[in-house]
Amino acid sequence: MARYITQRIIYMIITLFLIATATFFLMKLLPGTPFNMEDKLTEAQKAALYEQYGLNDPLPVQYANYIFGLVQGDMGISFQFDNRKVEDLIMDRIGPSAQLGFQSLVFGTVIGLILGLISAIKRNTAYDYSSNLMAILGKSIPSFVFAGLLQYYLAVKFGWFPVSFWDSFKHTILPTIANAMFTLAVTQRFLRTEMLEVLGSDYIVLARAKGLKNSVVTFKHGLRNALIPVITIMGPLVVSMMTGSLVIEKIFAIPGIGEQFVRSIQMNDYAMIMGTTMFFSILFVVVILIVDLLYVVVDPRIRLTGGKE
Amino acid sequence: MEKLLEVKDLTVSFDTYGGKVQAVRGVNFDLYKGETLAIVGESGSGKSVTTKALMGLIPSPPGNIEKGEILFDGKNLAKLSEKEMTKIRGKDISMIFQDPMTSLNPTMKIGNQIMEGLIKHQRMNRTDAKKRAIELLELVGIPNAQERIKQYPHQFSGGMRQRVVIAISLACNPKILIADEPTTALDVTIQAQILDLMKDLQKKTEASIIFITHDLGVVANVADRVAVMYAGKIVEIGTVDDIFYNPKHPYTWGLLGSMPTLDNTEEELVAIPGSPPDLINPPKGDAFAPRNPYALKIDLEQEPPMFKVSDTHYAATWLLHEHAPDVEPPESVKRRMKGFAKTGTAPGVDEKKGDES
Ligand SMILES: Nc1ncnc2c1ncn2[C@@H]1O[C@H](COP(=O)(O)OP(=O)(O)OP(=O)(O)O)[C@@H](O)[C@H]1O
Ligand SMILES: [Mg+2]
Repeated sequence: MARYITQRIIYMIITLFLIATATFFLMKLLPGTPFNMEDKLTEAQKAALYEQYGLNDPLPVQYANYIFGLVQGDMGISFQFDNRKVEDLIMDRIGPSAQLGFQSLVFGTVIGLILGLISAIKRNTAYDYSSNLMAILGKSIPSFVFAGLLQYYLAVKFGWFPVSFWDSFKHTILPTIANAMFTLAVTQRFLRTEMLEVLGSDYIVLARAKGLKNSVVTFKHGLRNALIPVITIMGPLVVSMMTGSLVIEKIFAIPGIGEQFVRSIQMNDYAMIMGTTMFFSILFVVVILIVDLLYVVVDPRIRLTGGKE
Repeated sequence: MEKLLEVKDLTVSFDTYGGKVQAVRGVNFDLYKGETLAIVGESGSGKSVTTKALMGLIPSPPGNIEKGEILFDGKNLAKLSEKEMTKIRGKDISMIFQDPMTSLNPTMKIGNQIMEGLIKHQRMNRTDAKKRAIELLELVGIPNAQERIKQYPHQFSGGMRQRVVIAISLACNPKILIADEPTTALDVTIQAQILDLMKDLQKKTEASIIFITHDLGVVANVADRVAVMYAGKIVEIGTVDDIFYNPKHPYTWGLLGSMPTLDNTEEELVAIPGSPPDLINPPKGDAFAPRNPYALKIDLEQEPPMFKVSDTHYAATWLLHEHAPDVEPPESVKRRMKGFAKTGTAPGVDEKKGDES
């Protein structure tokens, strides 16, 4: 097990290095240059800023400097916010993003699991059909469209919720729902399929043949086994939720990392773009590692082989 | 002998997209205390559905018990509610399935899977149930049971898993044990061991066994009586001797003709021509008639009733009618019948014992 984890961490570091390299060069291909939004700057002032941020160095030198800084935990200085360090800026903004992410993950998976379970137990009934309809909508409508719809109807038209900003818990409800819809839909579909397969398996018939109550068979023997594979989709879901939150934060004017990230791209704030990308990347690989380890812990069939690796 | 179970006119259907599948069409049989009744027949003839009906395990929808009675212990099981059925399943009637690789819960320890029934039906506490689980594992021949109960199914071989399933089924001393092709998925040496184990356990527990199989060799080895099913009906029923030495139904002849025996290996096996009928629209008359070289005109018109051959032996074929022509089984089947008489048992399951690893 320890060997397995070490191996995984080495792969993680290689992955992160590749992401850093790719993002660095891709970003240089972005149209426009930094500081061009600030019309008030003279050419001479711009040149001074370029020099100060090392943007006049040859690309390989810039790259080497960046990677060197990154290894030491230094993500550089943001261009747009007077000389503030990128990592500080991210930390300032992490609160709302983390809250949005956490709330949507919990809401999306819990409701998705409940709907999936109902669908499977009551398959081919009105319950199943409505649950499926909801999942199909959640999967096919992009979250920004959903966000707009929620905002227009529930906030603007009926006035039940605030339109935007991040203040009370009430402010968080619409963005959470909009951000969670995809997760909810995917979880519903996945659990429904898994549960139906499990409920049709021989060991469920054997459990019933033992004379166990239906509820015991469904939950203790059925749900438990159907839930294990759900863990595998949690990694990708967390990822999609993080990327989804970029847009959601923008739409609801939430002062989070995503909103800042979108603005940094518009402003060609290279250090900020790189820093945020690396921050998300680190989060992704860590989440995926945790999910894989969780799988090993929960599924007894993997425990042995996992240990040998 | 004491009658334990009485099945009368059992009729089961399934609603499918193509129409109503009449899987079991009026099955009658009795089960006596301590006997082993084998049910044989081609795939799809309704063997599993019949026995699932006895346990109230027909999935509904799409399945329905349309007609019939299953009398056990003064109750009609066909009419019991799900809740009342849970008191009988696993306690009075239990079941062993075909594929031991899939019939155990992969994420639950073996011990817990055995203990569940004990806790439910015998109201044991966990300590007693655990003790009993260890005893049961020892009874079915699993060494080191103390340690084994803490393991998961994937840590057991196929034969070992089937032993565990047998232990589960025996946990509450059932009066009836239904074994649905319990050895089909296992290799020959393990098959023989499991059969021996079942015979041995039956002697100890005096349970009645309903044994479903495709393999007539296994029938000769384990059964007291045999029911031959075709297209959702029992077409012939009798003692093992009745069926092997004096078969009356042409379908039974066909089955015997397609079965290898020890002493005439060089002889070619004769497959039954054609395929089983569509159970959505079962044919008028005798369902076997289109495949039956001895079919009479009446077979296409009217279903044959059960004719009595002897007190123990019945067959549903018009050939037994007093006005029917005298038809003898084909020569190959007759030779084979003599073969059984000579060697005692059919194919040598007993000869192929080996060590399970
Ligand atoms: N859940 C179901 N839905 C629809 N049809 C079913 C269902 N279960 C069984 N049947 C049908 O009932 C008929 C009898 O099936 P059954 O499983 O009893 O056959 P069997 O004699 O046990 O065959 P095998 O030897 O292959 O196990 C088949 O035609 C089958 O298609
Ligand atoms: Mg079957």
